[in-house]
Amino acid sequence: MLALNHSDLTLRLGSMAVLCIYSAVILLLSGILLLRFIRLAKERRRRKVTEIWRPLLAQCVVEVPETLPELTPQEHLVFLYLWNHCYESIRGDARAQLNELARRTKSDEFAKQLLRARRLRWRLLAIVTLGHLQERSIWNELVAMLEADNAFLSLIAAKALLDIDAPATVPLLIPVISRRNDWSPLKVVAMFGTVGADIAADTIAKAACQASPEIGSRLIRHLAATQSQQGLPPLRALLREGTTSDDILAACLFLFGECSDPRDVATVRAHISHPTWYVRLQAASALGKMGVEEDEPRLITLLDDEHWWVRYRAAEALSNLPWMTAERMTQLCGELSTIESQEHMLPFMARSNVRKAGPLPSVHPRAQAS
Amino acid sequence: MQPATNHKPTVLMVEDEEDTASLLKFLLERASYAVVHAKDGRQAQEFVDTLPTPDIVLLDVMLPFLSGLQVLAYIRGNAAWEKVPIVMLTADGSEHDIKRALESGANDYMLKPFNPRELTSRLKRFLAPAA
Repeated sequence: MLALNHSDLTLRLGSMAVLCIYSAVILLLSGILLLRFIRLAKERRRRKVTEIWRPLLAQCVVEVPETLPELTPQEHLVFLYLWNHCYESIRGDARAQLNELARRTKSDEFAKQLLRARRLRWRLLAIVTLGHLQERSIWNELVAMLEADNAFLSLIAAKALLDIDAPATVPLLIPVISRRNDWSPLKVVAMFGTVGADIAADTIAKAACQASPEIGSRLIRHLAATQSQQGLPPLRALLREGTTSDDILAACLFLFGECSDPRDVATVRAHISHPTWYVRLQAASALGKMGVEEDEPRLITLLDDEHWWVRYRAAEALSNLPWMTAERMTQLCGELSTIESQEHMLPFMARSNVRKAGPLPSVHPRAQAS
Repeated sequence: MQPATNHKPTVLMVEDEEDTASLLKFLLERASYAVVHAKDGRQAQEFVDTLPTPDIVLLDVMLPFLSGLQVLAYIRGNAAWEKVPIVMLTADGSEHDIKRALESGANDYMLKPFNPRELTSRLKRFLAPAA
């Protein structure tokens, strides 16, 4: 304060700066303390709700009690997290009990209010909850969310729509899946988890047929993860019509190999001499998985392909053929006309020999050193 | 860990997810089983070394420190626990884990999310009815 009475301007300015810094530090500290206090209060509330509701939720899986504790809006948020976790941990008729609990705690009404919340994570919580509750009254809002800029929000909305009414959602999803390049194909496959693999495969395949080659080929490759053959008919039709994209063609051949349906062998064979190297590569790999004895000479021909990767995959495909033995591979290698093709066979022959000999005896590092 | 009473069959439940563990514990205790809860692979290993043999083990695959498959191998390597039935809890779609668990000595598996009724009926197959 003495400094403020001083006549020297520099000192005055210096003192004011110090005061400002002190005030800023005090404000900052108060802010930190306030944030810390809020966080602790939130944590206390979360613990309190969890302590009350975790055992109650377990009980509700069997039977909902007559009387239930009251929930404040803040507590209701924590409850919804617990409720959703419990809902996703179980399957079968026990879920009906949890739905009854949600109705009795008015969680459906609360979630509908949250749907308009400013915070994204609250909106996501509301969508997941209302999806589990199969709340039809928010159908139109969810459909609008499919076009949301936020990919996560739109994917969660799609999952909720599938939970509410899968048959009605599928036609809505086909154009969206084919258009959105920010939707991870793996997430798309996972989204159909509860609906069934066949519906998932059929929807994704139809979406892939409508999509750009970039999105379509990614979707087709991930169709194998559904472990369903329902995606094959739309893709066969697409190839019959004649696709102009080599990416789509290569992805289809990859899927044909993974599914190994004998009806697709002819299509695969027809592409082993395709002008694009990665189409020939996928045809070779697929033949290794689904080919019959007459395909062996076709793969041997590919060992002389101009592209290194095609030669490599053809050698691998030959080694994968079910009737291929270590002796047959050695004989085959001896009959090959070029050194390049023989060299491609060598690693697979070595692998086959190791498999035949069984696992190597483990040697202790110290014994190895001596 | 809770003390197991003499007249009830004991289930060693190895589950790290607190919410799932609470639910499983409630369902098992309701079906009159005594439950011993190991929160991770390391604690499960410790229980194998120190506790009396339980009547059954309910073992999650995804665990901290040691995976369920590692715990399974440890249990099967212990002479006293060799014959204890083990039911694996595994995520839906992890066929590879299921195959590996059954090959490594698990007796049965249950997929998550699980059906509460199915859980108790599966355990009954391995256990004498609780008193």
